[in-house]
Amino acid sequence: MSGPITSDQGLVPRHPVVVPDATGNRDPYAEAPPAPARLYLQHLNPLTKVAGVLPAMVLLVFTRDLATPLAFIALSYALMLTGARLTRTVLLILFVALPLGVAAIGVGFSLWVDAALVDSTPAMLTLGSWTLFAGALEIGFATALRLGAILSLALIGGLTTTGPDLVRAGVQQLRIPYRIGYTALAAYRFVPRFGHELSLIRAAHRVRGRHGGRGPFARLARGWGYMVPLLVSSIRHAERVALAMDSRAFGAYPTRTERHLVPFRARDTVFIVACIVASAAIFVGLFPWQLG
Amino acid sequence: MRNTAPLIRVRDLSLTHAGASDPSPHAITFDVHPGEVVLVLGPSGSGKSTLMLALNGLIPHAVPAAIEGSVHIAQVDTAEASVAELSTHVAMVFQDPDSQLVTGTVLDEVAFALENLRMPVAEVLARSEAALRRLGLWQRRAWNPDRLSGGGRQRLAIACAIASGAPIIVLDEPTANLDPQGIDDVYDALRDVAADGEHTIVLVEHNLDAAMTFATRVIVLDHEGRLAFDGPTSQVLREHTTELINMGVWLPAATIAARRLRASGLAIHEVPLTATELRDALPSELPTALIASARPVDVTLGAPLITVRDLSVVKHRQPVLHNIDLEIATGSLTAIVGTNGAGKTTLLQAIAGVVPPPRRHIRIGELDPATASPRELAAEVGFVFQNPEHQFITTTVFDELAHGLRLRRVSDVDIHAQVTEMLVRFGLQKKAGVHPFLLSGGEKRRLSVGTALITHPRVLALDEPTFGQDRARATELLTLLHSLRDEGTTILLVTHDLQLVADHTTHTIVLADGRVHAAGPTTELLSDRAALEGAGLRLPVAYRALPPELWPLLRESATAASRGAA
Repeated sequence: MSGPITSDQGLVPRHPVVVPDATGNRDPYAEAPPAPARLYLQHLNPLTKVAGVLPAMVLLVFTRDLATPLAFIALSYALMLTGARLTRTVLLILFVALPLGVAAIGVGFSLWVDAALVDSTPAMLTLGSWTLFAGALEIGFATALRLGAILSLALIGGLTTTGPDLVRAGVQQLRIPYRIGYTALAAYRFVPRFGHELSLIRAAHRVRGRHGGRGPFARLARGWGYMVPLLVSSIRHAERVALAMDSRAFGAYPTRTERHLVPFRARDTVFIVACIVASAAIFVGLFPWQLG
Repeated sequence: MRNTAPLIRVRDLSLTHAGASDPSPHAITFDVHPGEVVLVLGPSGSGKSTLMLALNGLIPHAVPAAIEGSVHIAQVDTAEASVAELSTHVAMVFQDPDSQLVTGTVLDEVAFALENLRMPVAEVLARSEAALRRLGLWQRRAWNPDRLSGGGRQRLAIACAIASGAPIIVLDEPTANLDPQGIDDVYDALRDVAADGEHTIVLVEHNLDAAMTFATRVIVLDHEGRLAFDGPTSQVLREHTTELINMGVWLPAATIAARRLRASGLAIHEVPLTATELRDALPSELPTALIASARPVDVTLGAPLITVRDLSVVKHRQPVLHNIDLEIATGSLTAIVGTNGAGKTTLLQAIAGVVPPPRRHIRIGELDPATASPRELAAEVGFVFQNPEHQFITTTVFDELAHGLRLRRVSDVDIHAQVTEMLVRFGLQKKAGVHPFLLSGGEKRRLSVGTALITHPRVLALDEPTFGQDRARATELLTLLHSLRDEGTTILLVTHDLQLVADHTTHTIVLADGRVHAAGPTTELLSDRAALEGAGLRLPVAYRALPPELWPLLRESATAASRGAA
């Protein structure tokens, strides 16, 4: 109605409480209400949650069995269910989206596996001349669970950290130049704007009668047609944002005042050590690299 | 006031953007003293925005441009100081509220510049709180700025400027992207800032009615970017009205209205700048002959072309339109107006089939936009988006115009003839081989209207066609719309600009909260206070000041066009 992403709210808020915006997205910048002390994951330094799980995520890439990823999924779920704020979205991700994803990838990979490699294993399903072997299922689900395990480890940090806190921790503990961190944050604000812009461009092209037929190639061609106007307006927007940031002394000094300190405390060290010990225990106990 | 040294000292300043051949601004010299409120006017291309960028050192430090002459801010040469240093003297507020907000909360936004300057936390908080309280945003400090209205976000930008403590605030068209409510919000804030006497304000603005109430001085740049006039606001605007109009500069609505009235024979001797002055300038007795001649011309219209019956639209699970019933007559120029969120664009898009409406609620002639194919629809309705760039899909101006015809499998010979005719009509014949994105703003707008018209649709629908455009471009578009209407096209447009509605449209639909609040001939709606005010709208300035008998005289340009065609 007026300008690209004007919110429909006037100066007087119609909804005094924080509500999701019209598109149903959660505000990625919103400061979460203070979490009770028992939700320990919410009180750790964002980097801690990355450092604790990173070794396990890397090693998981090289596993091929079912037990190791299952153990890590169990560990991450246990941590999240005891230490994270369990909102409806979090529960939906943990108990609907992730299991469904693993099941879908597992079945998909099973069908894709070369049957010649596994035809010594028992047949699970026979349709005409095509047979699904138990070995194929096992390989498919090992792959899916491996991805699921890596994802659920990442979710430990992902579901309990806000973007700005991660950037602040990066600047404060890792000494990432603040110019990079805060520019990335500012750029994150572009995303909803571009989404809105893209929907306008698609509507405009549809009205012009741009169809080009069905199928993936026509779709690709159409997408290319949306790129030019989107790129032009993105570059223009980015230039304006850059000028506005320069005008407000962005980058004037190598550091800037931090109002929000993201401390790295003893509990962070404890968490990292505990995570690594637990990961090591699982890998040693289940040692997934035995020959045969 | 003049006993202090100038805060801004500009000497023989010429700025040439990388890639441009001539400088604009061109050799300009002026001083600004503490406490002044300077309004900078000029046609598009005169270099107003470029000049603003030079005032805080973005030119030459961040934007490549050749610079001659000098700019001193508080005795500091901008060429010698960094933009960051200058930011403690000059705070900027830009046009687009979206592209100057960089953080996730209102409080972080105000604190942003202060933190960059490494102020202690206590001072950052104290200054931020004071600025937010002053702008009435303190209660919303934890909000994401996206939740504020457009006017609210510009107030936030002003809060950032005040918090920085810079004595100079430079604003480049701060209300160009806002609706009337947003414009009021911003000017209430600016008037308050100007009144404290601690801030010096330099303002580029098209909306002179609001700026008139507190600008102390006007600087006018001409087409070549030279300094045309510089002096007290009322003196420059009253003494050089004709020159300013010829330059294509916007003037206060009261000034324009007075000129129209004088042209129709009413004795108005002064040049009024505000609604009150216009009212005072009217002769005590209005000549009856003039009023008789000012009867609104009856526009005879055909049968209803567009019928909307009991239309309700739901978007993102929120009802946007409720039980809309409408008839739009053939040959009318109808405006859809309403406050933000009233459902204007949704109604226009539903009628034009841009967002497919529910079936059997809308008819355009024999067509139901809900079930028509894009090709059938394009033959009946042309749709012009707010941003013309969104709808360009080919790589040359010629192909852009030919696209609609090619979809209809018109022969190449006919395509060539029709496209050439359209190029000539829209003054684009020299641009046939140019990429649409490389056209000027006015050319892009004309091309987007041309692409919508190439298939000769009976209905042309436009979404905010004059939004953020200067007076010359807006006038150009309206002249075009009048000539299309005279040829029989039915025109439907969404706009915030009630002055445009009052001066140019035959019919108006007022929406409020997704319902039709009032609908009918524009002249009738204007005289019915409840029709507009009940929907949160207000009469345009000149119409508020004048008795309704005189209103038809203000519409002279519109009625003359239709008389000429009759």
